[in-house]
Amino acid sequence: MSEDPITKSHSADFPQDEPRIGVYVCHCGSNIAGVIPPEAVVDFAGKLPGVVRSIDTMYACADSGQRLIKEDIAKYGLNRVVVSACSVRMHEPTFRGCVAEAGLNPFLMEMANIREQCTWAHGHDRAGALEKAKDLTAAAVAKATFLTPLDMIKVPVTKRAMVIGGGVAGINAALDLAEQNIPVTLVEKEPTIGGVMAQLNKTFPTMDCSI
Amino acid sequence: MVDAARQPLIEVKTFTEVEKVEGYVGNFVVTLREKAKYVRADRCNGCGACTKACPVEVPNYFEMNLAPRKAAYIPMSQAVPLIYNIDMDACIHCYKCVEACGALEAIDFSMEDKLVEQEIGAIVVATGFSHFDPTPMTEYGYGRFPNVITAMEMERLNNSAGPTNGALIRPSDGKYPRRIAIINCVGSRDKRYNPSCSNFCCMYAIKNALLLKQMHPDTEISIYYIDIRTPSKGYEEFYDRARESGIRFIQGRPSEITEDPDTHQLFISSEDITLGKVIEREYDMVMLNQAAIPQPDQNHMSSVLNVAQSPGGWFMEYHPKLRPIDSPTDGIFFAGASLGPKDIPASVAQGSAAASRASRILHSDSWQIEPTVAVVWPDRCVSAKGQACGICARACPYGAIDYTKGLAAEVITAKCHGCGACVGECPHDSITQLHYTDAQVLAQIRTLLAVEPEKKILAFRCQWCSYGGADLAGTSHFEYSANERGLRVMCSARMDADLIYEAYRLGAGAILYSGCHPQDCHYITGQIVGAKRAARLGKMFERMQMSPGRFRIEWISAAEGDKYARVINEMQSALDAIPEDVLKSEIERLKPEMAKKLTKLGDVPGVAQAMVQVDFIVDEMISREIAA
Repeated sequence: MSEDPITKSHSADFPQDEPRIGVYVCHCGSNIAGVIPPEAVVDFAGKLPGVVRSIDTMYACADSGQRLIKEDIAKYGLNRVVVSACSVRMHEPTFRGCVAEAGLNPFLMEMANIREQCTWAHGHDRAGALEKAKDLTAAAVAKATFLTPLDMIKVPVTKRAMVIGGGVAGINAALDLAEQNIPVTLVEKEPTIGGVMAQLNKTFPTMDCSI
Repeated sequence: MVDAARQPLIEVKTFTEVEKVEGYVGNFVVTLREKAKYVRADRCNGCGACTKACPVEVPNYFEMNLAPRKAAYIPMSQAVPLIYNIDMDACIHCYKCVEACGALEAIDFSMEDKLVEQEIGAIVVATGFSHFDPTPMTEYGYGRFPNVITAMEMERLNNSAGPTNGALIRPSDGKYPRRIAIINCVGSRDKRYNPSCSNFCCMYAIKNALLLKQMHPDTEISIYYIDIRTPSKGYEEFYDRARESGIRFIQGRPSEITEDPDTHQLFISSEDITLGKVIEREYDMVMLNQAAIPQPDQNHMSSVLNVAQSPGGWFMEYHPKLRPIDSPTDGIFFAGASLGPKDIPASVAQGSAAASRASRILHSDSWQIEPTVAVVWPDRCVSAKGQACGICARACPYGAIDYTKGLAAEVITAKCHGCGACVGECPHDSITQLHYTDAQVLAQIRTLLAVEPEKKILAFRCQWCSYGGADLAGTSHFEYSANERGLRVMCSARMDADLIYEAYRLGAGAILYSGCHPQDCHYITGQIVGAKRAARLGKMFERMQMSPGRFRIEWISAAEGDKYARVINEMQSALDAIPEDVLKSEIERLKPEMAKKLTKLGDVPGVAQAMVQVDFIVDEMISREIAA
């Protein structure tokens, strides 16, 4: 292999702490464990540099799973957490909240998506799914190694809502907001509010007037 | 309607369109176009003298063009707010309205469209739906046969506030129709037009049938249907009532309507599945129960709001089950039929839900946003050394970068949305993105390609769309090659050329460069930045004689799980088509070329040190592989 062009020089801006990573591999019932043995991923991840704790859990998102992570953060002095489970679109907020409750910065948690993007997509290629789950977990461990704590950015809030569309949904949203003492601009492109509803005769199932 | 106008905290702006939405959660700036009404809202008392005086008549769209209105008009007598409009396209400038208005002086022909800006904390999008025009379905003769009408025309014809004061008449002769047919699913559940179900039309057909029966109990009414769908509370009972009242339900989709040209009587040919035969029946009038479709300007609104659309064109929620009201943009929520066809109870419920989601933000003094913003290393920025640059500022979709020659570029954190376009574009690697630093992403690439890289398909995906598409592929169990290795960044704009070079230097078999469709981009123009770069890279790889299929660019929405799976499978086939020795020698030939492009990356703070550490992980992975 040719010389690595990236490692030939060094720089200092870098996480200063020695990584102590905990890896949690979720079974998700049979959603993950029905296709790959989570223990194989646990065993693989446990030997990666920086990982000091690697374990499987039936449901990482359940109370028991989250408790395990929180207790381990204290017990093993974890400073990074990797959750190999489902999509970030599903549970990233859950696990960020979980590690934060244990006193870890929420941005020191990284997920590997081994459900939607692995076992569910490769149900008939178990060997391939297992290799992929290992790689995705290793990538999450690698990224976690270089995570730095971040603070959420606080922004001010203008206390005014805008509702676009003056049909039945928009009118109701505007009324609900106004009744909570929030000023609302209700924008309608037609010369009157009411939308399709205003054009209707009686409406089901009560057969009362629409307006 | 009246409640909304009466509520002092609601400012109703009718005849107004949303021009532009800028800013972010808690701090949106919305530009509205208040279209000229030529009647001053502060003076008009709604007396209607202008309408009486106006000599011009045009069709009234509110009455489905079944009745005229004047050029000085309100669409209906219960209009809210009760302020008249002058339709300038129809106006002949006789100024009789001005005379009739008299001392009020409410009519002002000098009015022009006005652009106004409003500062807004949260936005509810409730732009509704539109109706399918059945004219293209020539088999039903709408537009040719006068007695074939649409559901919305029926609505106006049997409405006591409508053009006939609720007297239902046949358009051909003004007589009351004794035999009426209603055809369901006109343009719905029809692969030629809209494959999906329009949700409320079954109930809607039953409602109209019952209303007509109430008015004239001797009316014969038949409803042609594919399936009757009445899943909500009380709906099945409503259907039972209709059957008990003698309304005939015929299961079958009519193939054709013909007309007797002298009497304008109509004949429907249809299968009757219950009888198991084809039937033809005669009617005085036929109502086509038309599909609900997205608004004609839904695409435009989607780009104004930077929100994505589902297949079919409706707006797309962040998550269909967990966050069904939220858009992917924090602070923007959906309600009602803009998300997909729904009836009044569901629309009202979603209106309340959206208000509740929005009020979480609006009741807070401050709101938290993710800190995945861009950061400049001032000592690396060439502008600080006097070189003209500003590439970062030009790439930024939000104007969040202050660029002055002679000074280091500066990111205005509150304006930065964290797409990473500046990071991907900076030719000097002087900007990074928190939580997606070069070191962090490179670490992922190296581990994903640790073992047998030539067999791997490395997929770069944006958080909002193609990552979601990959999720949907899994959720739908659309299987694809397990050689795919996915990697998430926030936007395709962050997919730095260096990251691609590094992946090929490591020997990646194929690379997918994916993100959203341009109109769906979560970051306004981020995708455009990513797409331009990807196209440049594609051309370069072509010049380097890389085998076709090893670099692929695809835009995949979160709704396109099938496309994600198909693309990966096609890439796998393309990879399989390259003979092993050809692929190996090509990879080896290109490695030094790629390495040449990466010589500066090691100077980026943190990167070199990180790579040394990552290689320990990679070594461990390789040794485990050998042991296995």
